Amino acid sequence: MKHDFIDKYGTLSSPLHRLDPRVKIVCLFLAIVVIASEPLTSAIVPFLLYLVVVVSLTLISGVPFRYVIVRLLVASPFIVVAALFFSFTLYLTGGDGGPGSPETFIMPGVVIFSRAVLSVWLLILLTSTERFRRLLEGMRGLRLPPAVTTISALLYRYLFIIYDEVLRTTRARESRTPGRLRINRFRVYGNQLALIFIRSWDRSHTVYRSMLSRGFKGDFPGMQRLEAGWNDLVFAPLFLSVMIIIRIRAWERLI
Amino acid sequence: MHISDGIISAPVCIAAHLVALGAVVVAGRNSTPDEIPKMGITGAALFVASLLHLPVAGTSLHPGLFGIAGVILGRRSFPVIYTALLFQSLAFQHGGLLTLGVNSINMAAGAYAAWAVWSIKGLPVSVRALVAGFAGVMLPALLMVVSFRVSGYPAQVGYLLVAYLVAASAEAVLTLFMVSFFLKVKPSVLAGGPEH
Repeated sequence: MKHDFIDKYGTLSSPLHRLDPRVKIVCLFLAIVVIASEPLTSAIVPFLLYLVVVVSLTLISGVPFRYVIVRLLVASPFIVVAALFFSFTLYLTGGDGGPGSPETFIMPGVVIFSRAVLSVWLLILLTSTERFRRLLEGMRGLRLPPAVTTISALLYRYLFIIYDEVLRTTRARESRTPGRLRINRFRVYGNQLALIFIRSWDRSHTVYRSMLSRGFKGDFPGMQRLEAGWNDLVFAPLFLSVMIIIRIRAWERLI
Repeated sequence: MHISDGIISAPVCIAAHLVALGAVVVAGRNSTPDEIPKMGITGAALFVASLLHLPVAGTSLHPGLFGIAGVILGRRSFPVIYTALLFQSLAFQHGGLLTLGVNSINMAAGAYAAWAVWSIKGLPVSVRALVAGFAGVMLPALLMVVSFRVSGYPAQVGYLLVAYLVAASAEAVLTLFMVSFFLKVKPSVLAGGPEH
């Protein structure tokens, strides 16, 4: 069973890794809001400035760029389709500036692409600079609804049970049906999924009953107490100020 | 179908997030001790489903399982889908944190439609399962297009629905076989099934 497919670089020790997970979640979420609120008529300069900030954070974190790029490429097909689709339909319909003006159909697509790529990059940084379990503790600390915190705590425990079943049943299916499945493909996959579910279901109930028998009441006493330190007090206002300065184009007001 | 952050407008995302948080509280209230592991394991299944790839028509699709989630969980679908999407956005960047509300509403609507179809006892089981699986993909796809339109995308974005017809048909057949398997092996898994 492979356990690090979620938080491969979560155990590194960088200034970003040492931040309180709650501060990191709030700051990166607000940064995504700032970037996503850029209008479709934005110029490219602010996005280059956001990129400088995000690249700097990546350098500080010590997370390899190759890893970030691979993760970005995985997420990019949907982003590229959305950006191209937007530009292409504006090109066909003429856009607000009238047909023949490239700014009216190229730039909105570029803005959508830039907003999405930068947001995904920040999300990658969030999960690469923290153990997944600590992120969940951070969300719990931010007072998410009880249903979400309980389900997420159980989901994280059951995840590896179900992933283990996926690997086991896939190996069994492939050894029974070598080569490419042509006949009854959906029946085989449907049965595999249902089997995974039923096996994990039984095991999850056993796990849950044993948790109840040991006095589980919805809280996880093993969870660490989170405390924000001086580094959090420095990082949060500094990072958010830079993002807001870029968003409101403060330099234009000064000039 | 998972809309990434930055693709649609921020005010739409924030409004949807607030609605989604309200729905999570309402749908997750007063859950019984027996429902909790069911919700956890279904959430884990939804999360892991994005790692599976089913070869279809020369390409590969990953099952969403939102239809089957509705059939299994009924009204508890919303908090489970919200949590599974939160995990997917953090672990694989499928979707985003800001769009979590929009994505949850879209996909939970598919699960609720599937649950509604599954609850029509007058129809044969195979028809209910097929329609539930189809609705579990097609309704979220339709709502995704609505989200795009609300954010100012041109009307032609509706053509995206054609691409989702293949995925919805594949998911319908997959749901049929999953439901048949559950009915044979463990009918108590399904919403409205006998208690174990």
